[in-house]
Amino acid sequence: MTEPSTDVLLRAERVTKTYQMGSVEVDALRAVDFEVRRGEFVAIMGPSGSGKSTLLHLLGGLDQPSEGEITLAGQPLSQLTDDEITTVRRRKVGFIFQFYNLLPTLSAQENIALPLVIDGENVGLHTARLNTLIDLVGLTDRGDHRPDQLSGGQQQRVAIARAFINQPEIVLADEPTGNLDSRTGTAILELLQRTCREMQATILMVTHDARAASYADRVVFLKDGQVVHHLGENGKGNSVEAIMDVMAGLEL
Amino acid sequence: MLFNRPFLAPFAFALRNMRQRMGRTLLTGLGIALGVAVVLSIEITNVSTLDTINTVFNLAAGEANLLVSTDNLLAGMGETLPEELVDRMAAFEEVELATPTLRVNTLLASEASEWELEIGFTGAAAGTILQLYGVDVVRDPELRVYKFTAGRLPSPDAYEAVLPADYAAEKDLALGDDLVLLVPGSGVARLEVVGLLASEGVALFNNGVVAVAPLSVVQELFNHRGEIDEVGLKIVPAIASDPDALDALKDRLEERVGRNARVIYPAARGQLVSRMLASFQAGLQLFSGIAIFVGTFLIYNTFSMTVVERTREIGMMRAIGMNRWHVLGLVMVEASILAVAGSAVGLVFGVVQARALMLVTGAFLAAGDAVITVTPQALLQSLFVGIVITLGAALFPAYQATRISPLEALRARAQTGEKVRPAVWVTGLVMLALGLANIYVIPYRASVYFNILQGSVLLILAGATLTVPLVVKALEGAARPWVRRLYGGEGALGSANVQRSVGRTTLTVAAMIVALAMIVGIGSISISFEDDFTSWINASLGGDLYVTSPVKLRQSFLGQLATVEGVEAATPARFHIVQVAARSLPPETADDDDTVYFVAIEPETYRQVSSVEFTSNQGDPEANWQALAGGDAVFLSSQLAETYNLNQGDTIWLKTRRGEKPFRVAGVIVDFFAQGQTITGTYRDLGAYFSEDGADRITVKVAEGYTIDEVSQRIKDRYGEQRNLNVQTTTSFKAQIQGLLDQSLALFDVLSLIGVVIGSLGVVNTLTMNVIERRREIGGLRSLGMTRNQIVRMVLAEAFSLGLMGALYGLGFGFVLAQVMIQSMNSMSGYDLEFVFSPTPFLVGLALAAGISQLAALAPARRGAALNIVEAIKHE
Repeated sequence: MTEPSTDVLLRAERVTKTYQMGSVEVDALRAVDFEVRRGEFVAIMGPSGSGKSTLLHLLGGLDQPSEGEITLAGQPLSQLTDDEITTVRRRKVGFIFQFYNLLPTLSAQENIALPLVIDGENVGLHTARLNTLIDLVGLTDRGDHRPDQLSGGQQQRVAIARAFINQPEIVLADEPTGNLDSRTGTAILELLQRTCREMQATILMVTHDARAASYADRVVFLKDGQVVHHLGENGKGNSVEAIMDVMAGLEL
Repeated sequence: MLFNRPFLAPFAFALRNMRQRMGRTLLTGLGIALGVAVVLSIEITNVSTLDTINTVFNLAAGEANLLVSTDNLLAGMGETLPEELVDRMAAFEEVELATPTLRVNTLLASEASEWELEIGFTGAAAGTILQLYGVDVVRDPELRVYKFTAGRLPSPDAYEAVLPADYAAEKDLALGDDLVLLVPGSGVARLEVVGLLASEGVALFNNGVVAVAPLSVVQELFNHRGEIDEVGLKIVPAIASDPDALDALKDRLEERVGRNARVIYPAARGQLVSRMLASFQAGLQLFSGIAIFVGTFLIYNTFSMTVVERTREIGMMRAIGMNRWHVLGLVMVEASILAVAGSAVGLVFGVVQARALMLVTGAFLAAGDAVITVTPQALLQSLFVGIVITLGAALFPAYQATRISPLEALRARAQTGEKVRPAVWVTGLVMLALGLANIYVIPYRASVYFNILQGSVLLILAGATLTVPLVVKALEGAARPWVRRLYGGEGALGSANVQRSVGRTTLTVAAMIVALAMIVGIGSISISFEDDFTSWINASLGGDLYVTSPVKLRQSFLGQLATVEGVEAATPARFHIVQVAARSLPPETADDDDTVYFVAIEPETYRQVSSVEFTSNQGDPEANWQALAGGDAVFLSSQLAETYNLNQGDTIWLKTRRGEKPFRVAGVIVDFFAQGQTITGTYRDLGAYFSEDGADRITVKVAEGYTIDEVSQRIKDRYGEQRNLNVQTTTSFKAQIQGLLDQSLALFDVLSLIGVVIGSLGVVNTLTMNVIERRREIGGLRSLGMTRNQIVRMVLAEAFSLGLMGALYGLGFGFVLAQVMIQSMNSMSGYDLEFVFSPTPFLVGLALAAGISQLAALAPARRGAALNIVEAIKHE
């Protein structure tokens, strides 16, 4: 296993997100400080409404914090325009969603290549990388299939390959196994772990599944919009049991 | 509170939904309003046109139940009757009152020099010549309305006149002033103005350019002693109210009026003019049908969109216990509110639009101010059409809404693509085949052919629409490389989206088809018509100068004119109204009198100055001319040839003063004068069979070495004042006719514009729906790094593909539509209009397709680009 380097790839400083619900203000995140180092596989856990997904959206530049700063690969996102953030997302971030979000009109292969198309790249010049990824996610025979011809697990594999096609600095995964049965989920997690290793990628995954989180190098726990606990700081202690214990405490 | 009155809940829901989607509500309402407006305005125009014609002719007849008139139905064309006919008629005990009229055309002496003939499609425009009515000043007020604002009626036999107060004011005349008129010979006559009339009754004749004087005075001044041109008969009520008895009386009177005169119903006068307008009205009717068809699309499309947009909402309501009927009710209540409101607004639009249409029709009628008649029936009918069409079009989307399963709705996602049942496109193919067969294969009777054609156009339109699913894939595939070139990779993505919702794509493409077909069809017709018209103008309106006069020109004047220096040749023309004998009429119209113009010419001089354009297959022109010159022969306009089903060598029977006489058809010619209701014959026959002479127009050819202006001036100097001549150059005359044509064709442009609006609304609706449905997908693409601009380009590319598909289909269909419309116009009017292919309307259509699709897509594209990513990807 590749050791995570010490340089910080993603940093959240005093990040707060407040939503206006009618006349009531709801704090989804409250002054969160958080770091991900290059090469790390980090899981964020927490009960429903703890702010996991909100944090992931903010880190990926899909949304802006109400206060605080997020720095990705040395670039403070608050200083970027919407188009610049979009470019950062396109080139430096890969996304994996619970519901895959594949384009139904495109084949698996085309879906994987989509970020290249969006970036104006000639897909033909990247066939090698495309094929490597298709092989890596185990869809060699399924490249021409459309999403509705694939199982949920296969669709998520396509989404994973798509997330990696642009060789992003970090992949953000939002409940990647949330919509899959446990066996398929395990396969996907192993795939994520393996891909992370082989592509030397950084992964930040939001999940409420202790078993999924146990694949990560480090687990960060959120409750009521605040970071309340860490596991595996030194590469240890993030077993399923340990994670479940912490979660049980949080859900009390 | 919404739930306080449960039965109002659906209305409250609907109103809230409409308010929330105000933009769409307004668009849909506008669509309904437009459709209703088109239907109503066309109905009003048609009714008003007939009313205008009837008003003009009934006004002149006053309360007369019958008229004794010359053979010349439009009267005032120079032919007269003996005055003693009045007593002969009065002798009948059923005749309560018999009163004579002598109508002459003249001018105010002060205006003689600047007078210029204005023409309309039916001849001289009303109001350009002063009409002087000589009447029995004692008896005439019992028949016609004289309402004075000042003064009194003229005394019998006195040199006095009354005229409309408005006309008097315009000409600066007051009671006691002299009305100075031109009279034959070289003089002027003075009549004292003794009465001014309010704007009703007699004061409305000839668009208010009228004066009334004692009969004896008019007879004397205009050399018509003992002559009249009409006797108005008021019949005793017992007979007048019984059509059969009146008819019997008419026949008895007819026996006593002599050969030159006829007894007619006042309404008969409008008949010729009505027929001239028939083809124009038929064209409008066709547009009305297409407008309804397109409007239905639009409404269907909009309600489909509402349902798509509210899928989750409906699903949720179903989940909490709403049944299918409730859902159906929700959509239909909304449709009802929109139907009533949109239709009501449409009625207002319709009346306004009718005014615009009537301006054009007014030009056709040359009747000055046309009457706008808005009947409750027309209003109700349009309202009914608006409401029924809206509810009908909303029904299917409403039904679809009821099929939404709560679970599916709550997790609804964009579809990969939908299958269109083969039954749909098979039906389309059958309709297409049926429509085409109706037009090209099945030989229908002429009387039903037009209606069949009209139905077939709609059948083809609907058929073409239903076959769109068959070709979406292929067409999109063909369009995609172009789109990729224009919009890049995201363009190809957008283009591919077209295949995802075939049903919706079909509707949009159909809307584009209709828009483009209207543009191309109408454009091609305009061009074909203009082409034919221009070649007719050039062939038939030969010569360099037209010499006309408000009073009939004597034939001897022709000889005098020929002696003017610079005149190489001069040829006269006389427009005489004749009746076609029943035996030449098609069987279904044999009961009616058919009235047409007999245009008398002198073949020899005519050919030195001008020519005619024979239709195809008319053999050697030289032989045709010789046959005409030989006498008892005529050239028939293509319209009449079609109406009477006659061709070269056949015989047409005309009612003459010597009874019904046969004339051989020496040739069929293109003639647009008086909407082609013309038979061209010789002066010799005019004299021999109709005892007529004189000229309404003399065409002059200028000799080489002289300028047209020079010769025109010379004619004016020598005869202008003496004979009240108007000398006009052919060029300005042609320009005048061209102006009229352009005015009529402008109406077609307005109708095309409606097509464009409707096509655009279709694209806006579809793309908005697509964007709404694919929110999550667009959010996903944005999270993958697609910029807002790329999203905009993707949606624009989708629209471009739709436009291109619509264009391919629409231009092709427009080509067919143009031919069908020309054919139906031909069958209605008897024109022999030929389809002229011109690339212009096709290029305009293509440019508009691109333009419409892009402009209409802007708002949905921006909507897509503005999506909040987090919200969008949560849209599950």
